[in-house]
Parts: sequence; C-alpha cells; structure tokens
Amino acid sequence: MSLRIYAIAYLIFLYAPIALLPVFAFNDATIIAFPLSGFTTNWFGELWTNTSLHTAVKNSVFIAVMTAILSTLLGVCAARAGAMAHFPLKAGIMGFIMLPLVLPEIIVAVSLLVVVVQIFDLGLSNWTIISAHVLICTPFCIAILNGAFQNLDPSMEEAAMDLGETRFGAFRSVTLPLVMPGIISSMLIAFTISLDEFIIAFFLSGVSPTMPVYIWGLLRFPASLPVVMALGTILVALSILLLTIAEILRRRGMARAGVADKGGFL
Amino acid sequence: MTALITLEGVNKHYGDYHALRDIDLTIDEGEFFSLLGPSGCGKTTLLRTIAGFESVSSGLVAISGKDMAGVPANLRPTNMVFQSYAIFPHLSVADNVAFGLRKRTDLNKQAKEALVADALDMVGLDGYGKRAAHALSGGQRQRVALARALILKPKVLLLDEPLSALDKKMREQMQVELMRLQRHVGITFILVTHDQEEALVMSDRIAVMFEGHIGQLADAETLYRRPRNRQVAEFIGKMNFLEADVTAMGDTISLQVQGLGGLQITPEQSPEVSEAGQAVVGIRPETLGILFEGETTDRKLAEGVVDEVVYYGDMTYYDVRITGVERPLNIAMKNIIGQPVLDVGAPAQVIWDERSLVLLK
Repeated sequence: MSLRIYAIAYLIFLYAPIALLPVFAFNDATIIAFPLSGFTTNWFGELWTNTSLHTAVKNSVFIAVMTAILSTLLGVCAARAGAMAHFPLKAGIMGFIMLPLVLPEIIVAVSLLVVVVQIFDLGLSNWTIISAHVLICTPFCIAILNGAFQNLDPSMEEAAMDLGETRFGAFRSVTLPLVMPGIISSMLIAFTISLDEFIIAFFLSGVSPTMPVYIWGLLRFPASLPVVMALGTILVALSILLLTIAEILRRRGMARAGVADKGGFL
Repeated sequence: MTALITLEGVNKHYGDYHALRDIDLTIDEGEFFSLLGPSGCGKTTLLRTIAGFESVSSGLVAISGKDMAGVPANLRPTNMVFQSYAIFPHLSVADNVAFGLRKRTDLNKQAKEALVADALDMVGLDGYGKRAAHALSGGQRQRVALARALILKPKVLLLDEPLSALDKKMREQMQVELMRLQRHVGITFILVTHDQEEALVMSDRIAVMFEGHIGQLADAETLYRRPRNRQVAEFIGKMNFLEADVTAMGDTISLQVQGLGGLQITPEQSPEVSEAGQAVVGIRPETLGILFEGETTDRKLAEGVVDEVVYYGDMTYYDVRITGVERPLNIAMKNIIGQPVLDVGAPAQVIWDERSLVLLK
C-alpha cells in the first residue's frame, strides 16, 4: 500500500509540471496562476503569426534532421564494426566513442566555440550547431543500433554473399532491412535530442537562434509566457509521438528478427 | 572419378596461431566427404577457405582445376549450409529459397517460381513457400537452407555442422535424408562435423583432423579397423590399449603383449611401427568376447575377472581385468539367447584374435 502511494507521488512529481503546460496554454490570461479565467486558443494563434518564431523552428528542424541523419550514419558504421569486426584495441575504442554520453554539454559547447571561432576563425552558423549535436547524439545512436546489430547472426551476410551477392549487396539486401527499425528509432531519438538541446545551441548559434534559444529569449517578457506554454504543449505532444513510434519500430524489429525482447530503450 | 577440389600445401595463420598446417587433399566429383575432428582442429576453417570466406596464408585451393586465389565467395561454384542456417528472417520461405536466383536475368518469374517449387519439394517442404521464415522449426530451417543452396546447382555443397542444432531423433532422420539427397542430386557434399558416428554413417571418405593437420584420410571402414596412429584410434570409437614389445619385424611381426603373451601379426596391422622395441596394440571392444560355460572356441583365451557390467538390452558392456594387466579391458557383447549376463567379480575367459589387433606407437 505504501509502495503504491510512493509510486503515485513519484508520477505526480514527474508529470504534474508538464500537465500544467496545456492547462495554461488554453487559459485566457497573461498571468500564469490559478484560478483559471477562461478558455482561449489565442496563444496558439499568436504562434501562427510570429515570424521570428517560425525562423527559429525552421533552424531547429533543419539542425535536428541533419543531426539525425549524420549521427545515425556514424552510429551504423560504429555499431556494425563493434558487432561484426575484430580489431586491436576494440574495447578501448568503443568506450572512447561512447564518452560524449557523459561529457558535460557546457564543456563541449565552450571548447567547440573556442575551436571554431578562435582557432579556425570561422563564423557561427547552423552547421556549427549540427557538428556539435552530431557529437553528442552519436553515442545514443550507437547504443540503440548496437542492440540491432548484436541481435544479427553474423552468418547472415556471409550467407547472402555465398548466394551471389557482393559484400555491399549483402549488407543492403540482408543487414539493412533487418536493422532498419533500429535505424529509424535511432534517427528519431537523435532528432528529439537535437530539437530541444539548449546549451550548445546557445553558445554556437549565429545571428538566427534555434527554437529553445528563442524560447529562452521570450521568457524575459512576462506577457509572452502563455505563448511559450502553447509552444511547449505542441512540443510535448510531438516528443511523445516520436518516442512512441521509435519504440513500436524497435519492438517490430525484434519480432522480425525472431529474438526475445529483452527490454530496451523505453 | 575426377578431382573436383584440390588443396596443395594449404596453411592458415591467425597471428601466432597456426590454424591449418600443410593440408594436401583432393575431393572427387560426386563424393560425400567429411571433415571430422574435435573442436578447434581447423575443420571449419578449412571449409571456409573452400567457400571463400577465409583466404589462405600459403598454398593452393583449386575447384575444377581453377585456382581460387582472390575469387570471392559470391563468384565460387560453392554453396554453404551454415551451422545457424542463417535463414533470412525478413523474407518468406520462398523468397529465402529464391534469394540466389535474384541476379539471374535469363529466368523469368514463372521459371524462378517453378525452380523454387521444385527445390522445396526436393527437401520435403512442399507448400511451405508462403510461410514466414522466422516461424519455422529447427528441422524446417535446415531444409530451407538446403533448398536455398541446392537451387543454384553448385558444384560443391558445404555443410558446417548442419545437424548439431537438432535433437537426436531429428538428427538421425536428417542423416538418412542428406544421404538420399546427395545421391539424388549427385553434387559433391563436404560435411564438417565433430560427431564421428555422423561422419562414419554418411561419408564416402573422411579426413580426421587434429590441430590443423589431417591425421588420417580414409573410408569409414579403414578408419575404424586400421587407424593410422594412436590419436586417430582414440578419437574414432572405443579402443583398448595393451603395452607390447616388438621382438622381430619382417613378413610377420613377432611381439610380446602384456596379458596376451607372445603372438604374430601381419605388416598390414602395423601402419606406423617399423622397428623392434616398445609399442602398443589396440583392440576394439567388439572384437573381444567371453567364453561362457559349456561353450568351446578355437580362438585364444585370457583368464580374467569381471570388474564392471553395463546392460544395454541388445548389448552388454563388460570391463574385465585380465591377469597381468592393470587396466580392465572393455568388451562389447551382443546378447544372445541362452547366454547369461555375468556378475561383477565372476571369473571370465576372454576370447581374442590376433587378426583384430593394430600395432601402434
């Protein structure tokens, strides 16, 4: 019984603040406080007309898509090598490329800023953010893709080659379809991480900010707080949707490969 | 018979590890050939060098007289049944079987479907084409793997421990089916196995491998009755060993055998001993017998005491300690009507025959 109370209290602690987002996003008042004063969709309407927000969202989506593609590409290479190839210092190298997972983002942000601006004297742009996001997302992609590749029988590719495929043909016709669910869920995770990443984007963005940086800017004006709530509501809904798709695909991949589901990312 | 596969002086190194040592071997067209040995003896490595998954460090691998150096697996006239079967789980049974036909532009869709149906029929999976591959049982997966390889009509079918994942009953059934299939298609089969019974039952010839080299290459009967050295004799079947002292070599070999006394054998029974001195003789358990009360024999006898009895229904296995020998002799007796089963401690007269002895180092 006490365990149940604990569990409920825990869930409230976790999700109550997020549950408040949609409540105030539809509340007809600029001040975020109870009691609620009425229902409105004005704040969503304002989102629709705010062009600088649109630019920020476009930046963020572009960065997130590129990050998802690049880090998944790197992740596929690393996970395949980790699962199938044998080379000297393998354990050390695999550990080293997983390191950004625990590296403080502020360190990554500051050091990249120094490298890009001071050493190479380059301008800041979306691409500087993308390179940093690829750095922090790749370990997540490797972790997800490792599962997909480790479940793969190494004889599969050999069997395809034995039946007349070239090395690349075997990868494309056998390995790729089998790890595709892993690839998609890796891209979705990288996309989600990149989309709401703040610290690196804050340090490395040029003249045009990303969405999280833009939201942070909005907070200085109390009147725009409900608009942030509305935006937050949309983001939460989107995140839940993406992660659900990622998990469904992961499970389908497990079933297709005919292996027992050993838990997973979610 | 013409040689299909020729290996000459094949060596394979993995760093410091010498996986294959000077392998010389020819395998004939239409032959059922087995590579038999304990795990780590290099038999799978040898199979994979023929398939093209491993390169050789030195030496020649030729198929149909063509040097295979630098020819990748996809261009070799070999197909393989993997130990795990490696059935593609994202494809149906029919698509798995048709996988190797995808590159064939000379066949239209109907022709390919007909070939797939024939292949499935051949392995007894008629009508299974539409099933999902991941829903099959172990035996069915193996049949799909066979159909998938044989549909390409390879010159050689390579089988890497194909029966080791099956239960005993299924294994025995598949042994018979594989032999039938091999006779039916007439393709050379090369089987890798650690199971000596499997190799003895199925193969025309067997290469017994130890630590990267071939210990003996012979047909099943020769391998069993005339092992070339002690390593082969110990690996294939059961064998009793008795210390012997060779006193004279020549057209007949004279020797003093512990527990059996002085006797003579022919040179064919001595594959490796060529001079007088210390040696051992090997005796198979089923070539020994026990003389029961009231029976007579014109063979030789040795006095002993029963040390252990294991009754198997059709057979009884005795351990009998004969006078002057420390280790008991293992004797396998077929149970015949009227013959008693002896108890532990009972005196026993062991029947033996010098014609069944092998003289080894």
